[in-house]
Amino acid sequence: MEGLFFNVNNGYTEGIVRGYRNGLLTSANYSNLTQCETIDDLKLQLGPAYGDFLGSLAPNPSTSALAAKTTDKLVSEFRYVRANATGSLGKFMDYVTYGYMIDNVALLITGTLHERDTRELLERCHPLGWFETMPVLCVATNIEELYNSVLIETPLAPYFKGSLSHQDLDELNIEIVRNTLYKNYLEDFYQFVNSHPEMAGTPTAEVMSEILEFEADRRAINITLNSLGTELNKGDRKKLYPSFGKLYPEGTLMLSRADDFEGSRTTRASLMPQGLGGGPSGPGNMAGGSGGHDSRSLEDMFYEKEMQISKNAFTRQFTFAIVYAWVKLREQEIRNITWIAECIAQNQKERIGNYISVF
Amino acid sequence: MSGAGDREAVFPTRQSLGLMKSKLKGAETGHSLLKRKSEALTKRFREITRRIDEAKRKMGRVMQVAAFSLAEVSYAVGGDIGYQIQESARQARFRLRTKQENVSGVLLPAFESYQTEGNNDFGLTGLGKGGQQVQRCRETYARAVETLVELASLQTAFVILDEVIKVVNRRDINSELDELDREEFYRLKKVANKKQRDTAAADAELKKKMQAEDKNSRSGGGAAADILAENEDDDVIF
Repeated sequence: MEGLFFNVNNGYTEGIVRGYRNGLLTSANYSNLTQCETIDDLKLQLGPAYGDFLGSLAPNPSTSALAAKTTDKLVSEFRYVRANATGSLGKFMDYVTYGYMIDNVALLITGTLHERDTRELLERCHPLGWFETMPVLCVATNIEELYNSVLIETPLAPYFKGSLSHQDLDELNIEIVRNTLYKNYLEDFYQFVNSHPEMAGTPTAEVMSEILEFEADRRAINITLNSLGTELNKGDRKKLYPSFGKLYPEGTLMLSRADDFEGSRTTRASLMPQGLGGGPSGPGNMAGGSGGHDSRSLEDMFYEKEMQISKNAFTRQFTFAIVYAWVKLREQEIRNITWIAECIAQNQKERIGNYISVF
Repeated sequence: MSGAGDREAVFPTRQSLGLMKSKLKGAETGHSLLKRKSEALTKRFREITRRIDEAKRKMGRVMQVAAFSLAEVSYAVGGDIGYQIQESARQARFRLRTKQENVSGVLLPAFESYQTEGNNDFGLTGLGKGGQQVQRCRETYARAVETLVELASLQTAFVILDEVIKVVNRRDINSELDELDREEFYRLKKVANKKQRDTAAADAELKKKMQAEDKNSRSGGGAAADILAENEDDDVIF
């Protein structure tokens, strides 16, 4: 039933996004990339996928320049899709950008707190999280003004309201602010896809719930692991866990009580339904540094799982979730390219196979 | 004889022999002292050179690992966290102490690094994702900076020692030359003194003589008429 009128409004955008998905690099492409000796070779290999954007790069570009250009491509494609999206798909895509917006606002808060010229920060902001009124935030000279402008000018107001006051911005660590916002954002997004009349009960709600639940679980676990041994106490930590997802509520409760890595590991082992339960013995990316696919770390596994879920999203028809999935897949691709370029530039070929490719 | 032209001109007397002997003894003692100092410094110098070599190689490795750990961070976090890190760092965690080391009278500065405890300004960075990488990257870079400090300390010592060794090695010739210069100057001064005294004495004598002559000539003038008047000289009988 939901598919009956889907194509009237969203058929074109869905087609475009599926086309973009087919443009993603495949395993064969990646194995070509890993054979490259120099960044220029890499650039050449990326030609078919990124030709227009890499053309303006100087010979032997830095990896960050490469990453910036590949991100440019994602941004311009996203903007194109956004321009063609109408109605609830447009709203959905706005929601996708809110995550980046949170990062940008956190950046501006940091700048304002340290009394820097925040105008210089605008170019450091993630372009996907750009909103028209963002330069307005730079006018603020103190944190209270900034707080008020954020409330008025940005779509993030609901995430601030109720959980953060302007004193909090001053006193709390910026990471806590960021994660509080992100928690609120995830909960709101979850609520949105499950309650919006055009989305509730459709494949969009189904797929997006899975993705967002995974994201919530991942954040809960990551926050737990990363806060072990820091000044973040358990009560504050608990407040950062999103209140949905497969871990919620028992898992997050147990996570909030975990004192060490083993404690969180037990929780995961008993509750994680996604095959990530055991995990490797060390936290973090590429634990131990021994390289190869056997030593995948928890974060790598999370990324891989995310990519699997995103890939599977494309098996469904008539859903907005493919936009989200495409953005995530594309981001991973950019990370992969940067990683490979980094390995080539630093002559660390033995770790080059650490990228994640699902196609 | 070799170097006959360079030989110091010594007037062959007992006194100058004794003088020369004590001079030689002094020179030998001084030379051996300096030699010992120079050897101690050179030993130290060689050790430092070796350690610099080691430290440089180590630095190469450590910096590579550090740069790579940064790549890991950017992979895990998926963005640029540089600004945030810069802004959230308030106090230096990695600090330096300087101290001085005495090697045979030469003061060598040495840098010592240490980390302050409980100062973790960006401990929460990457809380959502990549936090472990950020922390690991920080540790790796701390090690890299440690190596740099070690290297800096060694290189400063290297430069100073190099200079000092040069001065010490040059001293035995240079100081000898200085000594000679001083002796020569002293001799000249002595000679000048003596000459002055001599001239003064000569002057005085001359003056006396002249005064005497003056007197004589004056008294001689009066007697001249007498000589002429007196014609009663005895006949000279051969």
